[in-house]
Amino acid sequence: MKSRQKWFLFCVSFLFATAMLTGCAGNSDPTSSANVPAAENGKQEDTTKLTPNAEVTVALEAEATSLDPWNSTDSNSLNILSTMFEGLLSLDENGEIVPVLATDYKMSADATSLTFHLRSGVLFHDGTPFDAQVVKMNLDYVRNKANGMARASFFGFINEVTVVDPYTVTITANEPNSAMVAYMAHPSATFKSQKELQKKIDDSKYNLDRHPVGTGPYQFQEWKNGQYVKVVAFTDYWAKEKQAKLAAILFKPVIEASTRVNMLKAGEVDVVTSLPTLDARSMGTDSSLDVYTGPSLNVLYIGMNTKLDKYKDKRVRQALNYAVNKEQMISKVADGFGTVADSPLSPLVKDYAKQQNYVYDLDKAKELLAQAGYPNGFTATLWTRNSTEFVAIAENIKMQLQNIGVKVDVQAYESGTLFEKLDAGQGTDLYIGRWGTGTAEADWGLRPNFASDRVPPNYNNSGFYMNEHVDQLLDDALKATDNNVAQQKYAEAQKTIMDEAPWIFLYVPDVVIAKRKNVSDVSVTLDTVRLNAAYKQ
Amino acid sequence: MVRYILGRVLGIIPILVIISILSFLFVHLTPGDPIRIMYGAEMDMATYESVKEKLGFNDPLYVQYGRYLSQILSGDFGMSYKTKTNVADEIGRRFLYTLGLTFASMFWALVIGLVVGIYSAAKRKSFWDRIGIISTTTIISIPEFWFGLMLMQIFAVQLGWLPTSGSGTFAHLLLPSITLGFGVAAIIARFTRSSVLEVLQEDFVRTARAKGQRESVIIWTHVLRNALIPVITMTGLQFGFLLGGAVVVEQVFAWPGLGSYLIDSVLARDYPAMQALILLFSIQFLIVNLFVDISYSLVNPQIRYE
Repeated sequence: MKSRQKWFLFCVSFLFATAMLTGCAGNSDPTSSANVPAAENGKQEDTTKLTPNAEVTVALEAEATSLDPWNSTDSNSLNILSTMFEGLLSLDENGEIVPVLATDYKMSADATSLTFHLRSGVLFHDGTPFDAQVVKMNLDYVRNKANGMARASFFGFINEVTVVDPYTVTITANEPNSAMVAYMAHPSATFKSQKELQKKIDDSKYNLDRHPVGTGPYQFQEWKNGQYVKVVAFTDYWAKEKQAKLAAILFKPVIEASTRVNMLKAGEVDVVTSLPTLDARSMGTDSSLDVYTGPSLNVLYIGMNTKLDKYKDKRVRQALNYAVNKEQMISKVADGFGTVADSPLSPLVKDYAKQQNYVYDLDKAKELLAQAGYPNGFTATLWTRNSTEFVAIAENIKMQLQNIGVKVDVQAYESGTLFEKLDAGQGTDLYIGRWGTGTAEADWGLRPNFASDRVPPNYNNSGFYMNEHVDQLLDDALKATDNNVAQQKYAEAQKTIMDEAPWIFLYVPDVVIAKRKNVSDVSVTLDTVRLNAAYKQ
Repeated sequence: MVRYILGRVLGIIPILVIISILSFLFVHLTPGDPIRIMYGAEMDMATYESVKEKLGFNDPLYVQYGRYLSQILSGDFGMSYKTKTNVADEIGRRFLYTLGLTFASMFWALVIGLVVGIYSAAKRKSFWDRIGIISTTTIISIPEFWFGLMLMQIFAVQLGWLPTSGSGTFAHLLLPSITLGFGVAAIIARFTRSSVLEVLQEDFVRTARAKGQRESVIIWTHVLRNALIPVITMTGLQFGFLLGGAVVVEQVFAWPGLGSYLIDSVLARDYPAMQALILLFSIQFLIVNLFVDISYSLVNPQIRYE
């Protein structure tokens, strides 16, 4: 009996000790607290306007890479950043450019400069004011390549930023650039406090990725690696009518998709970004949940190395396009959540022009292959990422191309390895790609993928597609000051690219998110989940 | 004994040097460029070169290794490329989670594994022995990934008794530790059963039985002491494995331990974090092995090391 008691005590104390250990771990990070909470500025938080106990938890598919808008290129970071940072312009839910920190803007007649009038009375979360000097300081920092910002090339079009007066700023481009306005509406073109930036300039080791101070309706409170990022309502937000309606938003990285689904079903999270399409179907019937689906800015494609003999002939490239039944692929691979790509651009992108698509036609495909000298097909290697979705696409392509005698060997690589193989520019045959046009305007959708000067290393034209006509059209469109001219040039570029078929144009996948019914006003713009207007009943 | 321990500890040093070289080479020769992964498809060469220079990638590999070695000797594991935070701090934080999960898992594993193993052996060929064999074989064959999701579905989604995932409270610890612990329990149960059965054939057991000692006394006082040696070895190995971050389970339950950190680091080609984690896991295994060897003599005082 005595020994049994000992055992029991041992077991209880062991479990207790383990629990304590985990508990300690749970509270072990006192360093990453709020930047400059409102209380530190001598202001008391006014919680009366907030819905009681309103905290919304969002499950993201991965952890943010950075909370510095100039240093992050992934959608998980952008989802969080959009609650804290604002730019001069933004895109609304309809994809229209709307002023945010600017009151209005004007582009010069020759499309070389853009002048913004700024909103006055805007405060950063650290209490410092927003003005023209802040805009200049931010843009000068990010475009300086020596500072190594991930978005440096994005702002490479800027030649000079001039402060005209405290609330007027002019951006001058290196050459005529009609896409400037769209670039300034991108979620990366947002501004951080001058005080924070000065800290980085004074001390190169200062970590801006961990100290986000913007002007948005929510301010940063805490980032616990692998656990969550927490933002809380900013009570001094400049637009009283758009004040945060939630006390806080918690962003949790949950890599495993099934776990995200279970968390939503169990009520532990309120919003799930990037939902597996199979679950989206079953969730649509759950009365406590809402599923949102809509086209994304992404296009999925199979790139072809046009330097290889077999793909030099346009007819071969067209044949491969005719041989793939895209509807079947969307139904099998994406559970119906996608639309056939009828342009290299998503329909959400400005100046997208619908093109005559390659309607599934095996006879035509075989005929074209025979004309090009491949009546019995050929063998090909298809590189893909090793994610479930990409491998499923690859297997589907393999199956479909078999019908025209093209024998495909699928080789799956982890994404980092695949990038390196594509960058090397050697050994590439067929490869699966996905391009998201983050700016929602045509130049960013076409130039990186089809311009002659964007071939490897380190650019996305991994199929070495080179066409002087397309280059000229893209340059003309960018220089065009007349919207109609730009639109026409982009339309012609899309037509030429579709006809030349350097890609097998697959489909535009849908954005699929789900939320609990008691959370309202969650929207998706530019593939980013927007929670600024969200509230909880 | 002290000399033995001292010798073993000193013997660890050259092993660590070899591991540091191998882990450095392994990490640097892994395909995938960390800068490209960090900065995405559309980065210009000027920014690329500037970042490359800052990270010291332009130096020859042996210079980079020398820098790495002098850094770790001064206790600095560098800054993570991905999170831009101190790697040692991050490992320290996450180690507590992994340690908690490991202890809790080993608790289930030992309690269930030993009880089932000993009972099955003592009641060999009985109904309960067969049940034990079938259930342990089944559990070993079930993928942890699926088992974890099933537990989550039943206890968190359907019954609502426990949280699905995350960390911070004791309740969060239960499902991942049971998922891990049951797998290890099945292994320990099978090891214990066969080990106990083997010892039960020994002459001294027959003598004890002939002297009329109760079966329970024989098993608890005579058999277990001898039978536990291989079980301790297996337990140590499993403990070392769990401490190395139970990658799949941590991912399924969004447990912020070393396993999920390793996955993040490898995907981002976060060299400093990858190197530090490989080194840490190696040290853990060496230490666990040392403890296992020492524990032999504690369990069976006849075993002495010179």
